[in-house]
Amino acid sequence: MEETHPATAVSTRALVKRYRDVTAVDSLNLDVRRGEIYGFLGRNGAGKTTTIRMLLGLIRPSGGEVTVLGRRIIPGETSVFSRVGFLVETATAYPNLTVRENLDIQRRLTGSPPGSVEDSITLLRLGPCAGRRAGQLSLGNKQRLSLARALLHSPELLVLDEPANGLDPAGIVEIRELLRSLADKRGVTVFMSSHILAEVAHLADRIGIIHNGRLIEESSRDDLAAKARSFAADAYTPEEREQALLTLDLERYFLARTGDAATGEAAAGAAATGTAAKGSVA
Amino acid sequence: MFGQVLATEFTKLHRAKATWATLAVLAMMPLGIALFMWIVREPGRAAQLGLVGTKASLAGLEATWPEYFYMLTLVFGIGGMLLLAFIVANLFGREYGDATAKNMLALPVARHWFAVAKLAVAAVWWMALIVLVLLEAMAIGFAMGLPGFSAELAATGLTNVLLAASISFLLAPVVAWIAVLSRGEVAPIAFSLVMLALGNLFGRTGWAEWFPYSIVPLLIGMVADPVDTLTAGSYVVLAGTFTAGTIATILQLRFADNAQ
Repeated sequence: MEETHPATAVSTRALVKRYRDVTAVDSLNLDVRRGEIYGFLGRNGAGKTTTIRMLLGLIRPSGGEVTVLGRRIIPGETSVFSRVGFLVETATAYPNLTVRENLDIQRRLTGSPPGSVEDSITLLRLGPCAGRRAGQLSLGNKQRLSLARALLHSPELLVLDEPANGLDPAGIVEIRELLRSLADKRGVTVFMSSHILAEVAHLADRIGIIHNGRLIEESSRDDLAAKARSFAADAYTPEEREQALLTLDLERYFLARTGDAATGEAAAGAAATGTAAKGSVA
Repeated sequence: MFGQVLATEFTKLHRAKATWATLAVLAMMPLGIALFMWIVREPGRAAQLGLVGTKASLAGLEATWPEYFYMLTLVFGIGGMLLLAFIVANLFGREYGDATAKNMLALPVARHWFAVAKLAVAAVWWMALIVLVLLEAMAIGFAMGLPGFSAELAATGLTNVLLAASISFLLAPVVAWIAVLSRGEVAPIAFSLVMLALGNLFGRTGWAEWFPYSIVPLLIGMVADPVDTLTAGSYVVLAGTFTAGTIATILQLRFADNAQ
């Protein structure tokens, strides 16, 4: 197997995916460094999910190559995925199986220890619904289940497609903190796609913007924030800026009012990250 | 790893509603045949109860063990082919319907194990269904006190049922392939219905022993008098169908785009 630069967790070279006349991903060159959180931003249909599917070997590239954790992804070669946790598109699970049974399937097929199921239930606060069938869960809890499944085998790399889908504001903050902590404390690399700018702005170390299948911008969050600030100075009216600040204030207020023992930390986290984000918008 | 894949497939099978639906449907069949036999045997009482006995009489059936076994073989052969197709379509196609295929195929497990495990689970459940419902059918036959039972008749009848059931299974991988190709359950079931009709049609021609879907109808006497033994050519066709279907399913899972 070809080994890429050891500091690179995900690498794509001239990656292309065509569906008949449509080029979904076009000459994509990406390098995601180990231990970083990489935000993959793009509008709906920009090529984010197609890229993620190719990273996970679910679809074959029309051209170029993908390397994950030093291994080139080729069709049907799945051994590297023992080190990868993922969430692709919508949160899905076997609807007739309980949360615990769904996670146990993941445990068996990733060769994880028996205790990992309960650990991931605790980590994602799924205890109250662990015995419920996945088909009966709310969208937010399905998303938590999918994240629990992704984290169950302690992966080195997390590939997450819209991880905040279906989560309420407290849940979003909680997951944000969890991902930050995994990256900072365990050195887990996170590659997350989103079309929600605030989500990526809060969390990512580096951000790539994909549009019409092409990577049109890639830089650190701070650099991108500086560019955005400069752009905003000319582009936004004072009313629009006021509206953006109000949105952030509302988020903090909502979290403070709806916080309980579980979400109190989240609210505190929101306050901290909200301040940072506020700075970047203003 | 195959053991773990097999265990998870049995968990899915056990918790699927479709599994128990197939048992319920197949378990109804001996009851239906028994009712038919009772109408033939007791046309007066059947008429009193509002059950129409004339059609049963016109069918020329007798309420005996040989006829009972003959009808069981028909039901297990034809109904079973469809029911087995439903089981296999559910096992493979449901992964796409529930959008869980993407989770399954990006696991650190060689993808061919999923195909093999699902087919193994289908085979085990199919045989379990046959055995359970055969036991039920025998109990019903004895409870009805049908005349003409002999050990030799039972051995021949059971052998025919088991042979028809086994041959039906050899056709299952093609259904699995259609399920993963179409990424769902509808196409493989529709395919099975069309093949059943074609099998019936070809069964009336000289090609019956060469067309895989005519071989079960040929064996159970659906389109003509049942054949005593299948030709070697038929077994080769069936083995080829099984092998081609299995390989196509594995190749589809391994190399084709598996987006949902």
